Amino acid sequence: MELVIKDLHANIGDKEILKGVNLTVTPGTIHAIMGPNGSGKSTLSNTIMGHPSYTVTSGEVWYKGQNVLELPVDERAKLGLFLAFQYPVSIPGVTVANFLRAAVNAHRSVAGKDTRETAIPMAQFRKEIREKMSALGVDDGFARRYLNDGFSGGEKKRVEILQMSMLKPSMAIMDETDSGLDIDALKVVSQGVNTLLGQNPDMGVLVITHYQRLLNYIKPNRVSVMMEGRIVREGGPELALELEERGYDFIREEVFGNAN
Amino acid sequence: MLTKLPVIAALTAQDIVVASEPTWLQQWRQAAWQHVNEGAAPLWRRTDLTAYALADMEFTATASESQLGSAIPDGVVVMPLSQAVREHGDLVKAHLGSAVAFNASKYAALNAATWRDGWFVYVPKNYEASVPLHLLQGFGAGNTLVARNLVVLERGAQLSLIEQYAGDGGPFAVVASELILGDGATLQYTSMQTWGANVHHMGHQVAKVGNDATIVWTAVNTGAAHQHIDAETNLVGNGSRVNWTAATVAGEGQRLLTAPWLRHVGRATEAHMDFKTVVKGSGYATFDGMIKIEGGSTDTVTRLEEHALHLSPQARSDSIPGLKIDTNNVQKAGHASTSGEVDDEQLFYMQARGIPKSDAVHMIVMGFFESVLDRIPLDTLREQVTADIAARI
Repeated sequence: MELVIKDLHANIGDKEILKGVNLTVTPGTIHAIMGPNGSGKSTLSNTIMGHPSYTVTSGEVWYKGQNVLELPVDERAKLGLFLAFQYPVSIPGVTVANFLRAAVNAHRSVAGKDTRETAIPMAQFRKEIREKMSALGVDDGFARRYLNDGFSGGEKKRVEILQMSMLKPSMAIMDETDSGLDIDALKVVSQGVNTLLGQNPDMGVLVITHYQRLLNYIKPNRVSVMMEGRIVREGGPELALELEERGYDFIREEVFGNAN
Repeated sequence: MLTKLPVIAALTAQDIVVASEPTWLQQWRQAAWQHVNEGAAPLWRRTDLTAYALADMEFTATASESQLGSAIPDGVVVMPLSQAVREHGDLVKAHLGSAVAFNASKYAALNAATWRDGWFVYVPKNYEASVPLHLLQGFGAGNTLVARNLVVLERGAQLSLIEQYAGDGGPFAVVASELILGDGATLQYTSMQTWGANVHHMGHQVAKVGNDATIVWTAVNTGAAHQHIDAETNLVGNGSRVNWTAATVAGEGQRLLTAPWLRHVGRATEAHMDFKTVVKGSGYATFDGMIKIEGGSTDTVTRLEEHALHLSPQARSDSIPGLKIDTNNVQKAGHASTSGEVDDEQLFYMQARGIPKSDAVHMIVMGFFESVLDRIPLDTLREQVTADIAARI
């Protein structure tokens, strides 16, 4: 199913950050959103997921027949939306394994049914998490560590991808997943995403990034450019390469004129 | 036999004396009794003393029921303190009152004067107890329990001790624990106040830690209507250490106060304190702590953390940490404190993974306590306490 964002406006406090975003992400595509710092990219991803610091002032986000802006955050996740965080928070005292099991079971829960019936069997969960961790080059002891507590930047991002591969979303939003990663970690993380895409060809992915670098590893079908709270340009993969070469200024001039 | 029990306040000096006890103990009790009658009321800032009115307390020797929740570890002496007075008189005389002085407060005095129950625990020199010892204190007949535990670890001894107050009754519990650690001794001390909802708990706990000795103190406070615990770790020995954590849950109607004192006396002493509190409903918890670094204490390392989570707008927690330094040679002294609601970013993160808000709060709170509860040495006890706390959040 498509993710359709219609004329989305959102504020932090009194400041309008999103000023009418229109965007459609189709299933089975990797859709990159590129833009300079402060253009509203992270606000867009957080607003879709329902971060409490952002206030939607108008607009809609449709997915699977629902305006997700009307749903609680956990329901958005259960609908198949996944946000890979730019800055994952740490949750001391909650292990990676327990957290993931709670998340998997929440996804499997069905209204009116006992959670003990719908919960993933422990053996199956263990097997699955072990397989995914090994694919991401994460050692076994990791599952017993407290979530993101004292993790390096690379470890945090790997755990984001681990969660993504366990929860198998139908629409994933990756918010600056490349930030803070060295090239080796970037390769591992990208490979994780690509593996998941291979297994779920209908998954849509919205890749939010400042740099072209990530797009060498996760190759987009579509590229949108965001500036000053709007999508100002759309194109194919060649647009990302053009941005890499020429920077954002030429688009800024075309869209807003040479104001300087 | 149904006789009205005398109120403690109406006892005479003669009532205090236990005829079978040695003279030194009779005199000690009488000195304590004098302090009960003539000593000043304690200057506790946040404790409602009317909840512990002597005029409401009845005196009986049967108000307490001491039990063992575990087998006695081989080689460790465990017996009622009154029996130890007869059988290990010299040891009791040497240590009784050396940690919790009879005049530490009016209530410490009341305990010293009128205790009839409680345990004596003695671990001989260099002896390492292989399994944890679980002392379980409950109410018997009578409205006021007065019990005293005396724990002595000789040089190089090791013990894991759980001291638990549990059950309904009372409502008054006036208890004291003295923990004496000889040089190089290690005590893992788990102190649990898990009383029923009506109890008024008044506790004094003092650990005296010898040279290079270590106490790992884990406090869990979840029960009672009122709690006042004066707790002290006295790092008298050079190179002595304490690792002190606490988990407190104050729910609807509960007023739980802990006043931990940490004294650095010896050279190169080291302390880590990490106190965690959750308040809910109309619950009210107070941390009234003090770290005192004495003049002779050099190369001191001390670190205090206290964190409180508020699960409802009416719930309250007060934190009154103090630090007094009488030396110029502190290696490290640090303090961190937080207080507030469950973090929005953590909640959002968990909800974004499909976990409903109430479950997310639950996991965050249990995670908050994890490092404390994880230290409870008996699996069944740890699971029981964890489940109790989980059910209340």
